[in-house]
This record gives sequence, C-alpha cells and structure tokens, in this order.
Amino acid sequence: MIRFEALSKTFGSHHAVQGLTLAVRAGEVVALLGPNGSGKTTSLKAAAGLLRPSSGQVLVGEPGLPATLPGARRVLSFLPQKVSFPDLLTGREVVEFYRLLRGVEPARTDEVLQVAALDGAAGRQVGTYSGGMTQRLGLAVAALPSAPVLLLDEPTSSLDADGLGAFYGLVEQRRQHGQTVLFTSHQWGDVERLADRVAVLVEGRLVADLTQHELSDRLAARGVMRLRLDACPTELLARVQRLAPGARWAMSQLSIPGSAEIRAAALEAVRSGGAEIRGIASDDGRLDTLYRELAGGAP
Amino acid sequence: MTAPRTSLMLLVARQELLLAARSRWTQIFAAVFAVLALGVSASGYILSGGHGFQDFARTSASLVQLVALVVPLASLLMGVMALAPERGTAELLFSQPIARRQILVGKLLGLLAALAAAEAVGFGLAGLVVFQNTGEDGAAGYAILVLGSFLLTAVFLSLAALIAAGAVGRKRARALAVALVVWFVAVLLIDLVALGVASVLPSTAASRLLILSVLLNPASAMRTGALLAIEGTAAFGPGSLALLRFTRGATGAALLVVVSLVTWIVLPTLAAVRRLSRADL
Repeated sequence: MIRFEALSKTFGSHHAVQGLTLAVRAGEVVALLGPNGSGKTTSLKAAAGLLRPSSGQVLVGEPGLPATLPGARRVLSFLPQKVSFPDLLTGREVVEFYRLLRGVEPARTDEVLQVAALDGAAGRQVGTYSGGMTQRLGLAVAALPSAPVLLLDEPTSSLDADGLGAFYGLVEQRRQHGQTVLFTSHQWGDVERLADRVAVLVEGRLVADLTQHELSDRLAARGVMRLRLDACPTELLARVQRLAPGARWAMSQLSIPGSAEIRAAALEAVRSGGAEIRGIASDDGRLDTLYRELAGGAP
Repeated sequence: MTAPRTSLMLLVARQELLLAARSRWTQIFAAVFAVLALGVSASGYILSGGHGFQDFARTSASLVQLVALVVPLASLLMGVMALAPERGTAELLFSQPIARRQILVGKLLGLLAALAAAEAVGFGLAGLVVFQNTGEDGAAGYAILVLGSFLLTAVFLSLAALIAAGAVGRKRARALAVALVVWFVAVLLIDLVALGVASVLPSTAASRLLILSVLLNPASAMRTGALLAIEGTAAFGPGSLALLRFTRGATGAALLVVVSLVTWIVLPTLAAVRRLSRADL
C-alpha cells in the first residue's frame, strides 16, 4: 500500500533520508520512530507527494503510483506536523472546503467535526482556536475521506484528551477497515497502543523494522528497577549481581538493570534474602537510548 | 466521487476570494483607493487652476498615475502574502488530489477578483461623482482605464505568484522584500534609468531604448495604453512618445501595449507554475 523504494532525499549537502526501503501493507498501522532530524517527516512528506525524491521513489496504493502524481494523492490523506489554516475561515468553512476538494458526501462535515469534538466551535473563526483545537481540526480534515492510506506526522504532539480520543478512534477505525496508517511519533504511549510495526530511522537510515512486541521487549531489556532497602549485605548484592551483573548499591538504593525477567528474578532474590523493601520503582528502557544503540549497531 | 478538474480550480478560486474579501488588507486597499480616486476627481481640476469637478477625461488622466503607483504595490504584497501561505496550511493543501498548477491558478483568479472588486469600488464612486457633476463625456476612456487597472493587477499578481512559488511554507519575509524591490524597480527605477541612459545615446538608439522601457515595463505600458485611450498624449513621457512615433499611430501603439501586458500576465504565471511544480514543501 505504501512502498518506499530506496528513497533518498538530499537538501544541499544534508542527507535527510538515505536509501529508505520499507513496505507498509494494507491494514497495517506502522509507527515511524527516530530522534529529531532522523528523516521521519521527510519520509512522510515524500509519501504525501510534497517532496520530490533525490533518488528512489515512493509508491502509494495498488498497484502503486508515484506519490508526486495527483492521482496517487487520491488514495491518501495527510496530516502535517504543525497544521495550520487561514485565520479568517471558520472551522466549518475549512472542513467544507476540503470536503468539496475530496468529493466527499456533505454529511461527513458534521460527522468529522463531531468526532474531533469541534461541533460546538465550528462557527468560530480558526484564528480564535487554541493549538489543540487547530490540531483537532487538522485531524477532522484528515478523517474526511475514507482514503486507503492515512499519513500522520506527530499527530498527538499538541492534542488534549478529546483530541487523543479522536485520534485513537480514527486509527482503530482505519485498522478495522483494512486501511493503512503510517504515523510518526515521539510518544511511546501512541506506539504501544496503536502500532503493529515500528520502523526506526536514525540519521536518515532505517536501522530497525520491528513488530511492536519486539520493540517492547527491547525496551524492557533495557529497563532498570530501583529498590529502596534498609540494608544490602555483601552476600545479597553478590547474589543479585549473579542475575544482573550491572546491579549497584548506593545511597540505600539497589539499582538492577536488565530485562523484565531478570528484574523479576532479582526482586525474588532480594525478598528471599530477607532484606526489607521500603520502596520499588521500575522503568523500561528509553527510546532515545535505544536509538543510540541501534545507530551504533548495538544489540 | 471526484469533482471535475475545472471545478476544483474554481473551488480554490472561491476560497481565495472569500479570504481576500475578509482580509483587512483588501478592505484597507479598497477604502484607500476609493478615497484617493474621489480626491483626484474632486480636487485635481482645482490643483490645475480651475474649480469644480473634473470630467472623465481629466479624472482618468489624473488617476493613471495613481493606478500605476498603487495597484502594483497592492497586488505584489497581497499576492505574495496569499500565495506563500504558512507551512502547515500549504502542506495540507498541496497534499490533496489537485495539481499544483490548479491551486496556483485558482488562487490567482480569486485574488484577481477580490482586488478588481476593491478597485471597482474606488472607480465606481469616483465615476459616479464625475458623472453627476460633468456628464458622460469621456466615460469610454475612463472604462478603458478601469480595464487597464485590472490588467495591471493581473500582471503584478502574476509576478507575485512567481516570487511566492519559491517561498511556499517558508521564506515569506524574503519574498515580501523581493516584491518591494520589484515594485520599486518596475514603477520608479526603470523609467529613470532608461531616461538617464537614453540621454547619452544617439537619437535612434535612445528611441529604441525608450520604446523598450515602455514595453518591458508593465506599469509604463499600462500608463501609455490608458493615456492613448483617453487621448491624453499631452501627458506622455518620452518613452510613450517614442513608441507612438515608432508605430506611426495610436492603434499600433495600443496593440503593442496590450501584447506587452498579456505577455506579462502569461509568462510569469507559466514560470510560477513550473517553479511551484518542482518545489519541495
């Protein structure tokens, strides 16, 4: 449904995307992850036909049209990262304009305004909207056509609770209809909740193409558990370090890095060792740490 | 279900017209133009030693200078502002299933309609005042001046499109600065430079240069065309006179002026379409 075929995009001497090859099938929800400047937005914009590839191509739909052709854009709907609208139009006028542009039936205007929780503000000029409301209006416009491909660039970056609900609902609905969703995000919560698959870009290169579970496992393996104990005798620390070699005791806190299984086993070891546990905290690995490892080729 | 191509372009035009009509810049332009046009029609004759209102011919001759000065400035600035929208607006619009040329031409048509309407308010009010006080003599020439004003609007909107095509979603301030430079060069500088250079050239070469300075400068071309229409050759500059001598009559000169203006509308629009089609957003 979306095929990046050796896509490269260069701006001057800066290589924004380098040889990206990735296929997103019908019915898949794929998250494009990566640190700032990794080429996520450039890739998405190339798929939306807004950028001309320096080399390679992006094909959209079946059998696959180059994204730069207007015909290809008929099968997709795109929400830019910082969507904006003319201040002097009302929310309803904006949606109506795009509805007519997409040739969608009139009833959709009210439907999408309601889904985006903007039905009460539809008569107001966009210039009076907050950032979150503008983002929700963008979501309403993106939701107008039932296009087989939905491209969303950091859709939740400025969404409030209503907007998040609308976004999650939209993606779930598209998944149920067998449509394709490709989105970028820095929010692990969005990825965990929505993505079937995760593609990680670092410095313009695809460094990982994982299922969501594989990514969860990788993050979990980079987690740390912190236990506040009354004391940590040497033999107890040695026992924990046999399970988690990176375990350290400092300032009444035992830090135990490792996968969820290792952390669970270490906790059991501490309990059976008789130490009094006064507090417990556990975090999975951070995405930015994972990006660095993936970029460096670390496991 | 997809709407036909023409209607998509007209849809964009309608949207742009609505935006331009609501824009305070268009409203200010309409008000200022109307005040100036009324002022010219009411006071120009007094300034030249008479009293009362000018007739259509004299009002037209006075308004030509105003049109040549104000209309290019308004068209360039408002054109660039409308044709180089913010990044988020441009990205959403240009990701729709409509060709970029249709978006550009649609926006140009909407803007042209809005600015022409704003000018029509000024011309209409002034025309009404003149008609009530002096009758209809010279009204045809006045109508040609109105047409010339619309053509000049189209010319400078087309130039604005060319400037804005490289600035969609970014570099808007730079595009506005370029627009100001274009206005200064087209409206003020070219004639002065041509005159200065011509003064040191042999008469044949000077004459050719002055003719070129009229035909290659849309503001001068419009001014010449309008003055021909109202038989106001007494107000001709050296370039217009050289053109009139070269064509040996008003018809040939008028024809060349129209060709010049139409070329100035078509060529920058085509170049803008080409530039926009290749632009990364």
